[in-house]
Amino acid sequence: MSLASVVSRPANWTERLSETQFAYLMLVPVFLLLGVIAIWPLLSTFRLSLFADNLTGASTVGEFVGLQNYVELLTGQREAILPRPFIDLSQPFRSALPVTLIFAVVSVLLETLLGFAAALVLDQEFRGRRWFRVALILPWAVPIVIQGMIFYLMFAPGIGFATDPLSAWGIFGETPLTNSFDSLAIIIIADVWKTTAFMTLLILAGLQSIDRSLYEVGRVAGASKWQQFKMITLPLVLPAVLVAMLFRSINAMRVFGLIETVSDCGTVPSLSCMVVSSFSSGRYGTSAAIAFLTAAIIGGAVMIYIVQFARGQAEVI
Amino acid sequence: MAQRGGDRNRRGGDERRRQYARTIGTDGGPSSVSRRRFVEAAGAAGIVAGLGGCITSNGGGGGAQEGEIDVGEVPDEPITLQWAASEQEAGQSDKIVSALHEAGMPENIDINFLSGGNVTSDRQNQYEQWLAADREKPDLLRMDNGWTIPFIVRDRILNLERVLSDETVDRVKNNYFEMSVQTAMDPQENTLHAIPLWMGLPTMQYRKDLVEQAGYDPDGQNWATESMSWQRFSEITADVMQQQGMNYGYTFQADVYAGLSCCDFNEFMSGWGGAYFGGVENLFGPIGDRPVTINEPPVHDSIRMVRTFIHGSNAPNTLNQYAGNIAPVSVLNWTEQSSMRPFSNGETIMHRNWPYSINVNGAPDAFGENLGVMPIPYAVSADEAEYAGTGGPVAALGGWHVAINPNTQNMAAAVAAVEAATKDSFNFALFEILGQIPPKPDLLDTQRARDVPVMGRYMDALQVAGQNAIARPVTVVWPDQSRQVAQAVNSAYAGDVAPEQAMADLEQTMEQIEESA
Repeated sequence: MSLASVVSRPANWTERLSETQFAYLMLVPVFLLLGVIAIWPLLSTFRLSLFADNLTGASTVGEFVGLQNYVELLTGQREAILPRPFIDLSQPFRSALPVTLIFAVVSVLLETLLGFAAALVLDQEFRGRRWFRVALILPWAVPIVIQGMIFYLMFAPGIGFATDPLSAWGIFGETPLTNSFDSLAIIIIADVWKTTAFMTLLILAGLQSIDRSLYEVGRVAGASKWQQFKMITLPLVLPAVLVAMLFRSINAMRVFGLIETVSDCGTVPSLSCMVVSSFSSGRYGTSAAIAFLTAAIIGGAVMIYIVQFARGQAEVI
Repeated sequence: MAQRGGDRNRRGGDERRRQYARTIGTDGGPSSVSRRRFVEAAGAAGIVAGLGGCITSNGGGGGAQEGEIDVGEVPDEPITLQWAASEQEAGQSDKIVSALHEAGMPENIDINFLSGGNVTSDRQNQYEQWLAADREKPDLLRMDNGWTIPFIVRDRILNLERVLSDETVDRVKNNYFEMSVQTAMDPQENTLHAIPLWMGLPTMQYRKDLVEQAGYDPDGQNWATESMSWQRFSEITADVMQQQGMNYGYTFQADVYAGLSCCDFNEFMSGWGGAYFGGVENLFGPIGDRPVTINEPPVHDSIRMVRTFIHGSNAPNTLNQYAGNIAPVSVLNWTEQSSMRPFSNGETIMHRNWPYSINVNGAPDAFGENLGVMPIPYAVSADEAEYAGTGGPVAALGGWHVAINPNTQNMAAAVAAVEAATKDSFNFALFEILGQIPPKPDLLDTQRARDVPVMGRYMDALQVAGQNAIARPVTVVWPDQSRQVAQAVNSAYAGDVAPEQAMADLEQTMEQIEESA
């Protein structure tokens, strides 16, 4: 066997693979890695969620109960053991799933709108643009605990400067950090303050990738500023906006640290809060079920986005 | 643990793949699955898989603990035990180890105090993870008496009656504050699983100078030992506030947190003769087979009283016979540190807090001897209260125990250390070094205790608090119940819900939790 034949064997072997087979081959290391660090814990969590809580025994979980944890969570039978109801549409600001969805939708929408506006401004040439960019990104660099403390101190009664005037105007109560509605609003504001910079940067990157000659063509064709935005900017930057929204939505639906530092999980219950609090109580089966439900909800939203995005891309092509 | 995947650089990757295909001679034509779709699907799978976080089963603990363990002799070679403690102990480790040696721990045993966080629930979660994973270290664990029983029930810590002498066990059961020992025992088997190290006894701390300037005589009227009623307390506070022109009269803790359910609310409620589960005999169970008595008139009245203190007697659901507006609305968002701040700053007359606050505010460079300490006021006497252990100057019991990790590889040394920790000399040493109150009533009434700087001045009031201490109802379901209590009570104090409605809802929830165990 000559050296040349040995060396050329791998190339020959891969050459015989189809496109699909080759793609799978390239993805094997990624799947192995995901299998170890992501899929195995996910499956393990799902397995754990099929067992009853065991508060009085030495073992971590009790007997196998199938999907009972999920059924009882979704039908409201676990409300007593959770900081707040899991789903209660009659009190959407006090139950975990509505609170999480409200937080995610409102904060991501506000961040997208503000981020888009800021990105449009930063996309223009003006003096001091570099300093403006630095100032804009500063909140994004603030650690979440510091961010939480800033807003806690702003609204803490007796210390915070924001509580008294906002309370006097009837916007918030006297102790907003112990009121679910007020605290949720404050946490949304805190999140928007920090994360708008993230959206701005991603959208700005999208804006700057647009071929400037398209605007020249638009101007020559007599398009107004609004028409240029609608016909050129928006369609071309939309993929970047959607990707940014996707990542923000995933993060927003896992909100926990900000709640714990500004208020607490009993006042503003998110899905992640429920996972942590039930875990801390030793209710591992319930905790795992909520964790898996959270993952499923987020995963479902991601899949919808990806399918829609792929469809949109196909139409563009 | 959460991983996030993505389909980054898709287009660039596709282009490179096409170039590669051309190089190696594959056709590059249409296939059944487009590369783009394939990579998108893989990216989506990665994202979905990464979102789940990770909660894994850790197996279990040790199982039922029966029979004596022959721990043998302490080996002669140097041994270093790990003791999960706090930064206070870690900072004074040399003195504490010396005290243990003086109390009989062999000289070849040294102790490495692990400095843990000050948030008790974080420590509880940490221990749960360590012990559920059968870790051999730390050998010794400092445990809050507010959550030791769940560790006992789940066989996470060693039954000390298997390793300590009968004489030591009897000494602990007979010579310590009974309520404190009960929080270290298996509620069903009555076996000892931890040794009380020190007690947290809340008191009413006040500005003696301001009160005296207003014409009151705390010493002559024996405020330190003869607890006053809440009504008189409110009247005095309001009067001193007015005379001194102060904004805050009384600060305490009513945030939505464990401290409200275990302690502040427990004291208000018990001082009115109310109880969570009837008398003290039901504090630690049986879960699901004890009455939930939270929705009763004494509890409603205690809430009305607190609302009067905060909102004044003109607000709804308040009591006319009490002086109002003595506490700021901020108490609804205050815990120990935040409520102590205005007191330490000289803005408050009365302040409810734990003994560490006495050390802080009674120091010579703070208020010194102008700090007064008295037992928590009450609304009804113990004789008038319906449930045993309630009424009178009830003080919520705090404090910490030491327990042995059943997986330790230094069992004999750990037992020797715990044995030494039961000695009077060690209790005194902890009091002198860290101001931690001995868990033995006899030690509080000694000259050595009275000689301790700052704290020693207030031994009379602390003894009354110790005699009237009531533990929180610690069971495996208490964490869930505690959360619900804190939310309901804070809402009722704030006026979001009427006391009767809040307690009726809470009663129902607590009964459901009782059934869930």
